[in-house]
Amino acid sequence: MLGQYLPIVFLIVLAFLFAALSFFASRLLAPRSPNDKKEAPYECGIIPGREAPERFPVRFFLVAMIFIVFDIEIIFFYPWAIAHGEMGLFGLIAVLVFSLAVFESFVYLIGNGALEWGPIRREAQTGDVVSATRTTSTTVSRAGIRQVGLEGRTGGDS
Amino acid sequence: MILAADPLLVDGIDLTVVLIVLLKAGVAFALLLVAVMLVIWFERKLISDMQNRIGPALAGPWGILQTLADGIKLFFKEDLLPTRADRVVFRLAPYLSIIPAFVAFAIVPVGGDFSDGGDGTVSMFGRSTFLQVADPPVGVLFFLALSAVAVYGVMLAGWSSGSKYPLLGSVRASAQMISYEAALGLAIATVFLSSGSLSTHDIVVGQSATTWNVLATGIVPFGIFLIAGTAELNRPPFDLVEAEQELVGGFHTEYSSIRFALFFLSEFMNMITMSAIAVTLFLGGPAGPIVTQRVAWVWPLFWFFLKVMAFLFTFVWLRATLPRFRYDQLMDLGWKVLIPAALGWFLLIATLDVAADLGWPTIPVVIVGVLVLWGGASLLSGAVRKAQAERLEEADRGADETAGSASGLGEA
Repeated sequence: MLGQYLPIVFLIVLAFLFAALSFFASRLLAPRSPNDKKEAPYECGIIPGREAPERFPVRFFLVAMIFIVFDIEIIFFYPWAIAHGEMGLFGLIAVLVFSLAVFESFVYLIGNGALEWGPIRREAQTGDVVSATRTTSTTVSRAGIRQVGLEGRTGGDS
Repeated sequence: MILAADPLLVDGIDLTVVLIVLLKAGVAFALLLVAVMLVIWFERKLISDMQNRIGPALAGPWGILQTLADGIKLFFKEDLLPTRADRVVFRLAPYLSIIPAFVAFAIVPVGGDFSDGGDGTVSMFGRSTFLQVADPPVGVLFFLALSAVAVYGVMLAGWSSGSKYPLLGSVRASAQMISYEAALGLAIATVFLSSGSLSTHDIVVGQSATTWNVLATGIVPFGIFLIAGTAELNRPPFDLVEAEQELVGGFHTEYSSIRFALFFLSEFMNMITMSAIAVTLFLGGPAGPIVTQRVAWVWPLFWFFLKVMAFLFTFVWLRATLPRFRYDQLMDLGWKVLIPAALGWFLLIATLDVAADLGWPTIPVVIVGVLVLWGGASLLSGAVRKAQAERLEEADRGADETAGSASGLGEA
């Protein structure tokens, strides 16, 4: 049965050789004149003022942990999906109970804001920002008056 | 059901078999490289058509050699190794990206006659075999494993660069790819319900016997697979990994020369493989009508090519049409919509299947199933609303505390 994996081994070797030979060819062909500025971390041309952060938001870590739960659930689903015909009602009920347990903890996580990202959604603000007298027509006509770069020009509204 | 196995490799391995296997692996390897070259050209040409430009036009007829020219150019570019980089991991990462990209294609059946109960064997130098590089019994699981290894390529590339843009890009990329991998896996699980096998060859055979899985699983998993697949490939509109406007180049910012080229190659290779896997799982693989008997072996290859092209076109089309998601929208879509939807649909289809086996009436089962799903969905949306309200409250409290010193800006 392991013979079925022989072509995959061949393909892995081919892909590895391709990558390694590419690096080798590039080493032969490419120019080599490194200097400090080229080798500094990329920062749009200026010298980086700060080290790359060593910590990142804990939310990403949370995502990884929740993913593991779901990944394990999926791994349990696959064999059952293949054999669900033979296992009948017993298998179905077992899977439903299992999914319920996972789903319930998932809802708990979401309810506690484990997957809340991004800006806070507020109701549309009205009041001092937008006056009630402002309508589409007033805005548009006001924009029509504000023309830029016409100071000092005579006539000519083209 | 018999356990899937390529008949070529079942009884003993002699020299002829090894040579055939080598030939198949070599052809797949060369074909993938040429296909990637053409797909990059295809994408550039198509997207320039959609944007009313001409696109590459000078290298070769219709600019078809543009990718080759770019590739050769990259060989002659200086290969930089940033001073802050972790040298070993920095060099390792391109390998981790390109090797899974090549190998994942091995399980895709590209041809063979599956019509009228055909099992897709072809004869090659007197041996019968399948038109796919390998048919391991774990099939699709192997593909999922390789796509998980590819996450390491992206993650280590960004982490080892020792620079802020690649680090941010790779952290985002890993979170995005694992999130959508869960949705992808659940969508594929529904396919296993109807096919009863993990082997790609058996999945194709199963579809030719009944209907294509896109209908047998009820379209929803196909849609989820497409969306999650696009996100898994980091294609627009999910290309936050290399959002140029904020992250320069994302995880490969510090890579130059041929190392960059390998990342680029593997990205497009993954696009081809994902299209091919979608065709295999949902659209019957190489199945299609045999129009003429004279060159009958060409037709399955032709149908397979046509279906894959449809997917490639869709990927480019999406890129030309949709603006990029915001990161929180991306995470919300993945976790709060796609994963629960895929889970619910999987359980619904499974229940219907088992109920049909037990001879239960269909309609009450459907009604109860939909009601349960609706209950789950409302529970979930209630949880989302509660989390949002709590967050808003907390922000307001924070704003009140700071209001004494700085008034005006209420956002915490």
